[in-house]
Amino acid sequence: MALVSIRSCGRCGFLLGLRAYATRPVGTPRKREQQDDTPVFQYVGQHRKPQGKVFVWGFSYTGALGIPSFVVPDSGRKKPRKYQLTPYRLDTEQKISSAACGYGFTLLACNSRDLTKLWGMGLNKDSQLGFQRTQHDRHKSYDYVLEPSPVSLPLVNPQETRVLQVSCGRAHSLVLTDSEGVFSMGNNAYGQCGRKIVEDEVYRFVFQQYKQHAVTHGLGHHSKASCPVPVGGDLAGVKVQQVATYGDCSLAVSTEGQVFGWGNSEYLQLASVTEATQMSSPRLLPLRGVGRVRQAACGGTQVAVLNEEGEVFVWGFGILGKGPKLSESAIPERVPATFFGRSEFNPTVKVSSIRCGLNHFAAITDRGELFVWGKNVRGCLGIGKHDDQYFPWRVTVPGHVTDVACGVDHMVALVKTII
Amino acid sequence: MHNYKSMKLMNFSEVTGPQFHKVHVGVGHRLDAFSSGVLVLGIGKGNGVLEHLCKSHVTRDYMLEGEFGKATDNFTHTGRVIEKTTYDHVTLDKLERVLAMIQGANQKALIMYSQVDLHTQEAYELAVRGLLYPHGKSPPILTGLRCIHFNPPHFTLEVQCVNETQKYLRKLIHEVGLELRTSAVCSGVRRTRDGPFKVENALTRQHWTAGSIIQAIAHFSKATRKIRKLEMYKQTAGQLNSNAQVQEQTRSQTDE
Repeated sequence: MALVSIRSCGRCGFLLGLRAYATRPVGTPRKREQQDDTPVFQYVGQHRKPQGKVFVWGFSYTGALGIPSFVVPDSGRKKPRKYQLTPYRLDTEQKISSAACGYGFTLLACNSRDLTKLWGMGLNKDSQLGFQRTQHDRHKSYDYVLEPSPVSLPLVNPQETRVLQVSCGRAHSLVLTDSEGVFSMGNNAYGQCGRKIVEDEVYRFVFQQYKQHAVTHGLGHHSKASCPVPVGGDLAGVKVQQVATYGDCSLAVSTEGQVFGWGNSEYLQLASVTEATQMSSPRLLPLRGVGRVRQAACGGTQVAVLNEEGEVFVWGFGILGKGPKLSESAIPERVPATFFGRSEFNPTVKVSSIRCGLNHFAAITDRGELFVWGKNVRGCLGIGKHDDQYFPWRVTVPGHVTDVACGVDHMVALVKTII
Repeated sequence: MHNYKSMKLMNFSEVTGPQFHKVHVGVGHRLDAFSSGVLVLGIGKGNGVLEHLCKSHVTRDYMLEGEFGKATDNFTHTGRVIEKTTYDHVTLDKLERVLAMIQGANQKALIMYSQVDLHTQEAYELAVRGLLYPHGKSPPILTGLRCIHFNPPHFTLEVQCVNETQKYLRKLIHEVGLELRTSAVCSGVRRTRDGPFKVENALTRQHWTAGSIIQAIAHFSKATRKIRKLEMYKQTAGQLNSNAQVQEQTRSQTDE
């Protein structure tokens, strides 16, 4: 402890043997010998791991966002919120590993061994979220589910099986498990659930399980197919690493980085191999200048692929992401990397995954930023306004985005916190 | 015989003192008392160009030294300590993620304040080339941010910004600390570049003589001419306005 002696005025000169805190002008540094007794706070421990969070945005009246107070306000002074234009945090009990958006509904899955592995919210008129028993009538199911509600799967080993991935269509959903195959639920008017088509079926209480992976219809004919059948054409014998489809066009990426396409080509999605408007059998697409493809994504009228170098190529019809002038393209057009944050300060930023909604695109970079572009249907882009976006624009999410699911008018993002 | 006229007292420099020419000196972008680095001065006719430099929205580079562990009232290490926190959970990885997030938000602000209609093809063309810049009034925006050195509790950031004040940069260090769930203070702000004027060409104390100053002015005559021309372009009306400025900026950027 330092002793500071002060001789005050000459008349009453006495020595102060203690520390004395005279007021000093602001800005002069404290003497190092004085002890600092301020307590040290710890806000975060040394071994804290980042947490997973879920953010939702878009059209909320179907209940697809999972926040009931947007549709039915819980306090008299609040008003219903029709569009959520910026990302809003959705509270989940468990860490969500996979999410999928359909037309007005959402499925969230957690890959744990707990009994509740799957939550659904939104439209349920075709039982796309399973049977949600009502409070008042045990034989009726809710038409709209406003909050994430558990979806019960008829598993043989519910305490062992894990859900790996979920996927949603317009009015049906598919759930992939690790040991019990694929489960499907919802509308089956075209056999999309993989079970036999029943004319005028009432979809409210049906559930069916299939042991094979459900494949999109590329069988060479135009009638309905209600059972999963292997796809032929150019894809016979090819190892496929990823399949993507949305409206009526499908793309498959092989392990060698080649792209095969089939389905609707009305919007020039498959114009590199055919001039017809439909192709009922898969053909290899010779995409020039694209290189090895890692991932493909299909939208309603547009298509995007991502190559090994992290570059995004788009083609088709609609807002493609290269300004308002480019609304249609038959050949892949590269989206410039400057839009994804590449600059002299960050020359190595690349895109790590792409997704497509019905009329919009989403891209996630390796730095965890989410970029969206396309038609802003009912606020689905999450950029804070209702205007369409003609080039990639950042969505402000507080954290590192790991995955995103795009629906027609809403989106769900799986985010990891930074600390 | 003495020549009395030449012996007038006022002819002796010891009596009158050294003779000075009155020259007007102006200062460019301010640098406050806590900071150091490049300060641009204009002498005589150069003062007019100074004004154009201020208006032209050139970027400036800074090196910021920071220290984790405490928060003070004026965001510097000399202020009164308000709170002390632990910082053993901070790693370079987390710091870089926080900087990426801050930079992302600033990139967005850059385009939003550029006052261009984003639904036009011209806006897209400018955005591709990275030329969407705030031309009017804007809050401080960082165009580049990265961590140069990390040695907890000390770290150094390199920042490139427009329209900033040094107090804003010190507050930035404080905010980086907050994002990392700890606190940070700024222990130094050093400007390394102000538009085309870099720290390598700056005159240090020993060189504050007439000879070096004249040499420095000659060295930068090209740059000053460019800035003056920029202002002339600005005064002509129409589309030429933004295009030329944008070209000048790219040219001056490539020159650096």
